[in-house]
Amino acid sequence: MYNLKMLKGKGQLKFEDKWVHMRPIVLKLLKQEAVSQAEWHDLFYDVHLVCLWDEKGPAKLRDHLHEDIVQFIKQAQSRVLAQREEEALLKAYIAEWRKFFTQCNYLPTPFRQLESSLQGKTTSASSSMQGSNNKTNSSDECIVRKLMLDSWNESIFSDIKHRLQESAMKLVHAERNGEAFDSQLVIGVRESYVNLCSNPDDRLEIYRENFEAAYIQSTEMFYKLKSSQYLAENGVQAYMKYADAKLKEEESRAQRYLEAGCYDVIQCCVKVLVQNSLPMLIAECAPLIKAGETDRLQLMFRLLERGPLGVQLMLQQLERHISQAGLADMVAAADVITQDSEKYVERLLDLFRKFSKLVHDAFSDDPRFLTARDKAFEAVVNDTTVFRLELSSGRNVAGKMVTPESKCPELLANYCDLLLRRTPLSKRLTSEEIETRLRDVLLLLKYVSNKDVFMRYHKAHLTRRLILDSSADSEKEEDMVEWLREVGMPADYVNKLARMFQDIKVSEDLNALFRTSTERHDAINIKILNAGAWARGSERVTVSLPVELEDYIPEVEDFYKKKHSGRKLQWYHHMSNGTITFATNGGKFDLDVTTFQMAVLFAWNQRPTDKIAYENLRLATELPDGELRRTLWSLVAFPKLKRQLLQFYPSVSAPKDFDEHTVFWVNQDFALIKNGKPQKRGKVNLVGRLQLSTERSQIEDNQSIVQLRILRTQEAIIKILKMRKKITNTALQSELVDILKNMFLPSKKMIKEQLEWLIEHKYMRRDDDDINTFIYVA
Amino acid sequence: MADENDNERIDENQRPDKMFTLKKWNAVAMWSWDVECDTCAICRVQVMDACLRCQAESKKDSYGKQDCVVVWGECNHSFHYCCMSLWVKQNNRCPLCQQEWSIQRMGK
Repeated sequence: MYNLKMLKGKGQLKFEDKWVHMRPIVLKLLKQEAVSQAEWHDLFYDVHLVCLWDEKGPAKLRDHLHEDIVQFIKQAQSRVLAQREEEALLKAYIAEWRKFFTQCNYLPTPFRQLESSLQGKTTSASSSMQGSNNKTNSSDECIVRKLMLDSWNESIFSDIKHRLQESAMKLVHAERNGEAFDSQLVIGVRESYVNLCSNPDDRLEIYRENFEAAYIQSTEMFYKLKSSQYLAENGVQAYMKYADAKLKEEESRAQRYLEAGCYDVIQCCVKVLVQNSLPMLIAECAPLIKAGETDRLQLMFRLLERGPLGVQLMLQQLERHISQAGLADMVAAADVITQDSEKYVERLLDLFRKFSKLVHDAFSDDPRFLTARDKAFEAVVNDTTVFRLELSSGRNVAGKMVTPESKCPELLANYCDLLLRRTPLSKRLTSEEIETRLRDVLLLLKYVSNKDVFMRYHKAHLTRRLILDSSADSEKEEDMVEWLREVGMPADYVNKLARMFQDIKVSEDLNALFRTSTERHDAINIKILNAGAWARGSERVTVSLPVELEDYIPEVEDFYKKKHSGRKLQWYHHMSNGTITFATNGGKFDLDVTTFQMAVLFAWNQRPTDKIAYENLRLATELPDGELRRTLWSLVAFPKLKRQLLQFYPSVSAPKDFDEHTVFWVNQDFALIKNGKPQKRGKVNLVGRLQLSTERSQIEDNQSIVQLRILRTQEAIIKILKMRKKITNTALQSELVDILKNMFLPSKKMIKEQLEWLIEHKYMRRDDDDINTFIYVA
Repeated sequence: MADENDNERIDENQRPDKMFTLKKWNAVAMWSWDVECDTCAICRVQVMDACLRCQAESKKDSYGKQDCVVVWGECNHSFHYCCMSLWVKQNNRCPLCQQEWSIQRMGK
């Protein structure tokens, strides 16, 4: 039947005829009134017919549909606007919107045909260009729906959106002030903003430009007022808690009221709550650090971390605190720590632990704060106010100031010596405790910028321990060398130490051979060492040995010649030592003495009761002046002895005041005193700290550190240039520091001098165009 | 006071022991190669240290077993033995004086 009708009406079927039937159904749909199944079907069919038979049908259909939708919306608007009260307004709006939005899903369905016929027209023109785009457009977004939403947007929404937003924000404001309300209202408004958008590329466009913007603005206004008020009334510390709580609150609020992922509002809160009062907050930072208020600092860190700059400022505060407090502590304890390396190291470690704990408790070991701690602690360690070490290169002593360096590495090395040598300290500690302490030293060493000085002192101490055989634990000695390697000490330094251990073993074997080769040498042990590994500086001290000793020399040399060839021996009598027995009126005592002390004491063997003048002792021993004075002083004024070995006249207070007529004689009443009573027998060690270096060689030692630095710097510069061929000054400097930092920190001045030297000697040149660029010359 | 003491002590000096007697002597000496020049002209390392090659190799296995000895030529110039034995493969002359190389003695 329909077919017939259709055929009959071909060409005459007009949109107007059909619209009469369609319109009531459309209106019913808009109003959400009941539509029968037949009506629903008819609508489909009519749309189909109109689109098929009336050329202008689709356009007309759309226009009429639009008109009706707008009409409907107008009515809805008036219903909404009739509400005076805000909450009621929102409720009405949301109700109308929900209804409308639901219909947005139904009404378009019958008009599918319309979609395709309209689309066919519009897209055919441009399909070649944007085929793929259209596909997504047509499936995602249909025209009728868009028509509906756009109409809503134009007619109702743009008129009342300000009122809507205002009302919603008022509600949020009320919530911020602690009043309860129906949060669904705000959510409903937001949903309408989001769903309203028909822009497929940016669905949140309307929401963002209106709702979110209003939300942010009202939030900002709210806290601008509140925060300064709170700060003024309650002070900074309470304010921090307030700000922290409010930020958390706003975060959860934003989750409720804003679209997921749109949390610009938090940034805004941070700006208002944190950044705006940054100076006040930061001013509170130093006192908190000082007082060790870790909880509050944690809170402050949490707050400031949200915004830019804040953490940076906190780092500065921490750094300043550590270096100031650390230095103040050092200066306050200067008297003790300059004398006692153990106390010094303990103090330094205490400080380090204190600061580390602070960083751990307050900042959860955040890497930025750890770096700040390291930087500041490095400053404390390398500071030169408490004590300094002056290294002069020896070349330009005249009037030139040398940059002083911290004595820290020397004290660290001394402390290691206390732990590794047989001392009261090392006897008191267990092996594990010693290991822990040595590792502590290595930890501190990490912060020392002149590590080469440490290595030099450490080597000197090791030499003493090995020669005097005074190591507490030889295994630990070798462990220490490996630990030094582990912490990145330069391999050539560490290898030298390892060679010393090797060498001392070789020497022990040799000694055993020597002692079995002849039977009458019970009294002598020899150490014949590799000069390359052990020798320090050029200095050897001449001494005329007592005959008892002198006799051994040719025999040892003959023995050695038989074992080796092509080698020459040099005796290092300032390192050698021994034990002698001293028979006095009251008893017999074993004395551990240096060979120099022996040489001096044996001078009395031929004439036990004589008073011998300084000058005659000099002639007898042939010791250089300085050495003789020092040796004599150790015999007339040994700190640990109540009764001294030698007596002298006239009295002086320092070795330099002996003159050639000062006379010395053996104290025949010498005895060791124990519990106030003189003993008949006993043993005493007079070696003290074995003199490895004379005064002159100490200067030489320092010079050689500087010389070695110069060589290392040249070496490193050439190494870099060889690799880079061409490099700017700044890049060169930073690479240089990188290479050398495990040994020492090259001063700007030294780098400059060495660059000049290398240029002068044609190892490199400056770029013709840029004076600050260097070029390698092969 | 000193005079008094002197008189008393004369008898005591008759004791067989000397006042100071040696019990033990720990003598220290350093050995080095008996060479004219401290550095090996071939590898530029001090002759007392192992030559470059040996230093590099000994890093791999244990340090210490550096038996890098010195060799003297008839010309009395000295080098690391390792360095010289490589050198003569190319050129049988002393790098310093260009005399024909023949070994005078080896270090041990």
